[in-house]
Amino acid sequence: MSTKGTHIAEWLRVPFAGITPAPTQERGQDLFPTGNWRSVRPVYHDKMPPCNNACGTNEKIQGYLDLVKRGKYLDGYALIKEDMPFPSITGRVCYHPCEEACNRGKYDEAISIRAVERFLGDLGLSLPQDVVKPGPPNGKNVAVVGSGPAGHSAAYQLARLGYEVTILEKSPRAGGLNRGGIPDWVLPQDILDREIGRLIELGVTVKTNTEVGKDVSWDELKTKFHACVLAVGLTEPNSVRAEGEGKPGVLYGLPFLRDIGMGTSTVKLGLRVAVIGGGNTAIDCAREAFRQGAQEVTMITVESNRTEMPCVPEDLHDMLEEGVELLHGRAMTAVLGNGRVEALQLHPARFTGAINASPIAVDRKAKTERFVADNVIIAIGQHASLNWLPEEFKTAGGTIAVDQFGRLGETNFFAAGDVVQFGSGQPLMVVNAVGSGKRVAFNLDKVLRGEPLRPRTVPVDVIVDLNRMNMTYFPHFPRLQQQTLEPVSRRRTQDEVIQSFSEEQAVEEANRCFSCGTCNACDNCYIVCPEPCIVRTDRSNGLYKILVDYCKGCRVCIEECPTGCLEGVPELDFDTGVVRMDTAFAITPGLHGRQKEQLAELHQRPPKDIENWR
Amino acid sequence: MSYTELTVWTRGIIMDKEGRDIVNSVAAAARQEGKVTQAMENYVDNPDRTNAPTRKYCRVSDSDIENALTYENEHPNIVALVEQTMVKGWDYLRGMPPGGTLVINTHYSPEYMVRFVPGPERLAQLVCVDAAKLADHKWLYYRLGELGLDRLSTEGAAERGKLIAPDIAAPLIAAVVKTTGIVKLETIEPMIANRAAFRAALSSLHILQVNPAATYAAYS
Repeated sequence: MSTKGTHIAEWLRVPFAGITPAPTQERGQDLFPTGNWRSVRPVYHDKMPPCNNACGTNEKIQGYLDLVKRGKYLDGYALIKEDMPFPSITGRVCYHPCEEACNRGKYDEAISIRAVERFLGDLGLSLPQDVVKPGPPNGKNVAVVGSGPAGHSAAYQLARLGYEVTILEKSPRAGGLNRGGIPDWVLPQDILDREIGRLIELGVTVKTNTEVGKDVSWDELKTKFHACVLAVGLTEPNSVRAEGEGKPGVLYGLPFLRDIGMGTSTVKLGLRVAVIGGGNTAIDCAREAFRQGAQEVTMITVESNRTEMPCVPEDLHDMLEEGVELLHGRAMTAVLGNGRVEALQLHPARFTGAINASPIAVDRKAKTERFVADNVIIAIGQHASLNWLPEEFKTAGGTIAVDQFGRLGETNFFAAGDVVQFGSGQPLMVVNAVGSGKRVAFNLDKVLRGEPLRPRTVPVDVIVDLNRMNMTYFPHFPRLQQQTLEPVSRRRTQDEVIQSFSEEQAVEEANRCFSCGTCNACDNCYIVCPEPCIVRTDRSNGLYKILVDYCKGCRVCIEECPTGCLEGVPELDFDTGVVRMDTAFAITPGLHGRQKEQLAELHQRPPKDIENWR
Repeated sequence: MSYTELTVWTRGIIMDKEGRDIVNSVAAAARQEGKVTQAMENYVDNPDRTNAPTRKYCRVSDSDIENALTYENEHPNIVALVEQTMVKGWDYLRGMPPGGTLVINTHYSPEYMVRFVPGPERLAQLVCVDAAKLADHKWLYYRLGELGLDRLSTEGAAERGKLIAPDIAAPLIAAVVKTTGIVKLETIEPMIANRAAFRAALSSLHILQVNPAATYAAYS
């Protein structure tokens, strides 16, 4: 209540209860301190975006999409490289769990994260020198067995930590599953070669044609190196145990793709090819079969329909576009033919329990079906070849026994990738192997430095609820589709099927990102605050500050934060550092006494001169 | 001679009526019991601003009130906080003689809240009542857009509701009256609109005896 323009007798002047000065008057600021109106305090708290959380190697996806938005492509590339050694590869082959988790998928369509990653990865490969440098040498050497995704990732991270890394690869060419399990029309060999070149630039030695158990013994690994990462993968194909499986013309999925990838294939396919299995390798085999000369390709699966198939839906779609037929609910029980494959004997079959995780029940009493084929490619999974491994480190499931840190007992041996993830429920995908390799590298580093290992923490605050963001800031906008080769033409060529984004497309797609739960320096809070109590030195995440002395807790910034990274924390949750205002608005306690005395003397004062009161 | 001061701390506009209902109903009930009473609001706090802390006063005396013309309660025996975070803001207990009572509308326990209280040794008891929950008050204070709903309840404007204590004031009145005996429960209960919340509160108080030795010293 302002006293401006009011005549106040001297004895009733400030400070007197009931008549307080305006904030502009003398002592007004003392009597009307602002602040402490809050019941909640705005706090910047970056949450884990669902894409980052879903990624097998926890790439900072929101971070690099944000950098692409701003045209900082190199920074974006450098950010991916913290977690991912080869974004140009995962930008092509990843099964993108990030896109399944993307909140935008609940709003219109998920962001094409993989395409943006590929754009950045290709940009990085085109640089004359990589942005990543090896760490200062620490004088320790580590062997990494296997140069697939997990081995590549572990070697990369260890080199960045300053280790002298040697990769031991049993094949004539490095790359592991990236080379031997992924066809050229998905991942061109020259891209892989250049990514391996980048790894060698980091100082990693790659020894090909070096097989553990044959060229290097377990004891040599133990004595010659300070530590060792086993990333040997699952290399041996599973058999269907069908009669006549050994006949010429019967092929196995992974060796079929591996021989083509390594350039050592001598296979000549017939016109009619059957593929047994419903997973991603089976799909790659079926599509590769066309490119190797087959005219009719049929995929035979135990799953009763295509939605149950354990594969990436868009790969399935592309496969069907290319003309592969599907035959569901059948198992191959025999390979028929005189001296080579002529037909397959099929019986109705189903999984006895959970799809793909339980034994198969074959109805042998049902009428058999004869399926004419010149070749059959069996792609029903792989297992590891671990003859060289001491028995104590083997599990009953044929994998390497490790603790939660990927370590083999109390040794300096670690294992990563499919060979430990098999049977864990984790999809055996490139990005998950990369994540496994990364985590194992960091754990290995800790062990060699004598630091305690800490279990992986589960992020507790993943934004999955759109109501926690302000959706009024996000107009609906369709997802940009990557161009693909025409289905008819691509059946006969090894050219890459899916095309890259242009720069404009990558930026446009990155612009669709909500930045769920993470400050992307949109400046909204800075602009909308009615008391200007939000300050920043620079427009960047982490540089916004709230002057709590002035904040009234009006919540405008919290409501208007598009991404939900500002949250209202109840004042009572700040139980330390209580800020108490001793001069609550009007009066200090001592004044009451004075006021009382003045009132008591009131009758002694002369009456006011109303006429001449001014 | 008994003389008791009750000061209610509340927040401007959005919780103004709650504070007013408490002092008015207690004063009216005391008057029915033959006491001399006063109830008034504090204008210096600038109560017409959303969220601004503001005070309401009530005085109950067996005889004439000596300091009837003073504007504030100098020595409140009872302090009520309509909103829990106010516990941190000011020295609302200033001038409180030993043996006072503090009532807070909160879902926290008195053991948690006492750490924020300035000079808690003056208190005989700290009473916490989850008034918002008892009154089933779902919308108040939490969403910005909803604050507009109650803007009419401030000074100089038409009241949103003419009823006394239709909402969260009812459990707070129950807490004040039951723990201090400033008026009789049966006198005040007929005035309360939300009697269900009033009665529910009587059995849902969380009381922490802070300095019981001082209890009732101020009232004697």
